[in-house]
Amino acid sequence: MSFGAEFIDYLNYNYTLLIVTLGTGILCLASGVVGTFTFLRKRALIGDVISHAVLPGVTIAFMLTGVKDPLYFILGALASGLVAVWVVDMVQKHSKLKPDTILALTLSVFFGVGIVLLTRIQRSGNAAQSGLDSFLFGKAASMNVLDVQLFGAIALINVVCIFIFLRGFTLLSFDEQYAKGLGFKTGWLKTFLSVLTVLTVAIGVQAVGVVLMAALLITPAAGARFLTNSIRKMLLFSGLIGAISGIVGAVISSTGTGMPTGPWVVVCLSVLAFIGILFGKEKGLIARIRLRNQNKTKINNENVLKALYKMSDDGQSSVNLNDLKKHDSLESLPVQTILNGLRKDDLLELVKGQVVLTEQGRIASREIVRKHRLWELYLSKYFQLKADHLHDDAEGIEHVITPEIERHLTQLLEYPDKDPHESEIPY
Amino acid sequence: MSKEPTLIEAHNLTVVYGRKPALWNVDFEIPGKQVIGIMGPNGSGKSTLLKSIMGVVEPTSGFTKVYDQDIDDVRDRISYVPQRQDIDWDFPASVWDVVSMGRFAQRGLFKRLNKEDQDIIAQSLDKVGMLSFSKRQISQLSGGQQQRVFLARALAQQGELFLMDEPFAGVDISTEEMIIDLLKEMKEEGKTLVIVHHDLHTAQSYFDWLVLLNTRLVASGPVSEVFNDKTLSDTYGGKLTTMSKITQVLENKEFPIRHK
Ligand SMILES: Nc1ncnc2c1ncn2[C@@H]1O[C@H](COP(=O)(O)OP(=O)(O)OP(=O)(O)O)[C@@H](O)[C@H]1O
Ligand SMILES: [Mg+2]
Repeated sequence: MSFGAEFIDYLNYNYTLLIVTLGTGILCLASGVVGTFTFLRKRALIGDVISHAVLPGVTIAFMLTGVKDPLYFILGALASGLVAVWVVDMVQKHSKLKPDTILALTLSVFFGVGIVLLTRIQRSGNAAQSGLDSFLFGKAASMNVLDVQLFGAIALINVVCIFIFLRGFTLLSFDEQYAKGLGFKTGWLKTFLSVLTVLTVAIGVQAVGVVLMAALLITPAAGARFLTNSIRKMLLFSGLIGAISGIVGAVISSTGTGMPTGPWVVVCLSVLAFIGILFGKEKGLIARIRLRNQNKTKINNENVLKALYKMSDDGQSSVNLNDLKKHDSLESLPVQTILNGLRKDDLLELVKGQVVLTEQGRIASREIVRKHRLWELYLSKYFQLKADHLHDDAEGIEHVITPEIERHLTQLLEYPDKDPHESEIPY
Repeated sequence: MSKEPTLIEAHNLTVVYGRKPALWNVDFEIPGKQVIGIMGPNGSGKSTLLKSIMGVVEPTSGFTKVYDQDIDDVRDRISYVPQRQDIDWDFPASVWDVVSMGRFAQRGLFKRLNKEDQDIIAQSLDKVGMLSFSKRQISQLSGGQQQRVFLARALAQQGELFLMDEPFAGVDISTEEMIIDLLKEMKEEGKTLVIVHHDLHTAQSYFDWLVLLNTRLVASGPVSEVFNDKTLSDTYGGKLTTMSKITQVLENKEFPIRHK
């Protein structure tokens, strides 16, 4: 082979890769954006129903026209997808069947009919030529420029429509009854949203297949939900997660032979969503674990400060380190580590086995003792708890009392100076 | 003496979900009284009645009117507070976002909210003591705070008739007191309040007019006439079982149910 031919091969390969990467990225962006509302309306499973339900539409379109034209396929898919959504709504309204039963039934019936029709076409020896089986598992690798344009169009339609109808769609997803009460045509909004969703599925299904299309719709939103509490940002993140997964999935699948694009895209989506679930700013798992640890450190610190306060007569004298470690309330706590932390915060000093509170430390320790005793007093006054039941409760609550609550308590208790055990409440 | 104008009318109202009747042949007229209570046990169709009045659910037969008119002609005068438990509060929205929804009644689906709207939203939040929470994500609110947000959203609508579904459900004493003060204030401003309520003890002091429901209408009239042992036991007590038995038969056996 000459160098020229090789080079052209190389270019071709890159060109195909470019098309597939671009196409998958754009498609995933489109579905991530519109899928956000599917997710927020708790209709995750309906995505599955729609993507399976487009199959009969596609096969019927082929049987009627006899040609392999994406436009007919999309129209057929759109029609049967919408019929499925309508069937689900109708059955839900007029029967006592549980929603998941209805969804499962609709999915199986439509998909079953689709498979039967597909088999008939295959028997007639037409399938390979029509390429209909690609609807089952997808065939991203054979994407062409026309497909990319189509994906671009649906992405644009989704983004623009959602931008314009954001208020309506949000209201519909959050509180449909209120939306109706305001006089908005929720039926119309719902249909519009369904059309966008079904259209996206109808266009995307040939690339990734019916089985994986639902994941493209729901997974980006599921991950994005953990990253933000604003619906605008959620739409943005959802689109981004989709686009990145689409691109990365396409690139990975191109590096090896026999690695289809659709599944790789879904793997990337799942990884990103999982990262979102782990690292989400407030709702993420790690953020929650970190918060829990912070709380634990705070509780440990305050317990040590409280013990110090009691052992040092209001922080006046120094305390022997070994005595401190043996204090009842600090059993099984890593006292040395806690002390080191407190020293870093300038709350105490460690001198020759003796612990001395700094001025700051004295204030902090007094505060925690005050909260503890205020809470005991509050409990005994308002809940008639016996004196020996108070301490344990206050042990837990003292760490949670904010300055506002403390102020509220002092006012409520009229600036008390003695707790129920006749110990002084320090200010 | 001229007849008092009718505030709300229900005419032979029947609402059936699937095969289960939630309201059965309910027929009443409420004259222009100020504070109206709707009471009945769980599942007696109170929410369904409010939803029918708002046109949120379609009646199976019969109709409702507000101010003698079709609801669609008077919607802009009515503020609706749905039952708090009906929605999922883990939605990506802030307190401010939710209360702004009250302004959509005036601004529609597309018009931007202007300075005046922002002021009204802030005032409404202030009235329920939630202004300092306006940036808070709604899932981080307590039940009482969620209820306040719902009230603020209705206030932002600036209606004259308020339909409120259980504004006192699951709120603590301080929120209840705050809501009562707010309702008093609204009453003084000449607003009309229709309140779905659960607590029998407070009913007499709160309401001028009472509608007692148990799928069918038990009574509708001035509190002084309607609030007595007989009607209450009809609503909550023994007789209930007859109606609920019939309801069950209708639900389980395929009896024809009336249609329009
Ligand atoms: N969307 C629905 N689909 C099916 N059944 C429903 C629906 N909404 C309400 N119901 C049923 O209709 C009956 C009346 O419901 P409704 O919510 O009006 O009662 P309620 O008096 O408001 O009760 P609660 O005190 O619990 O709020 C109940 O038995 C309920 O289960
Ligand atoms: Mg109710």
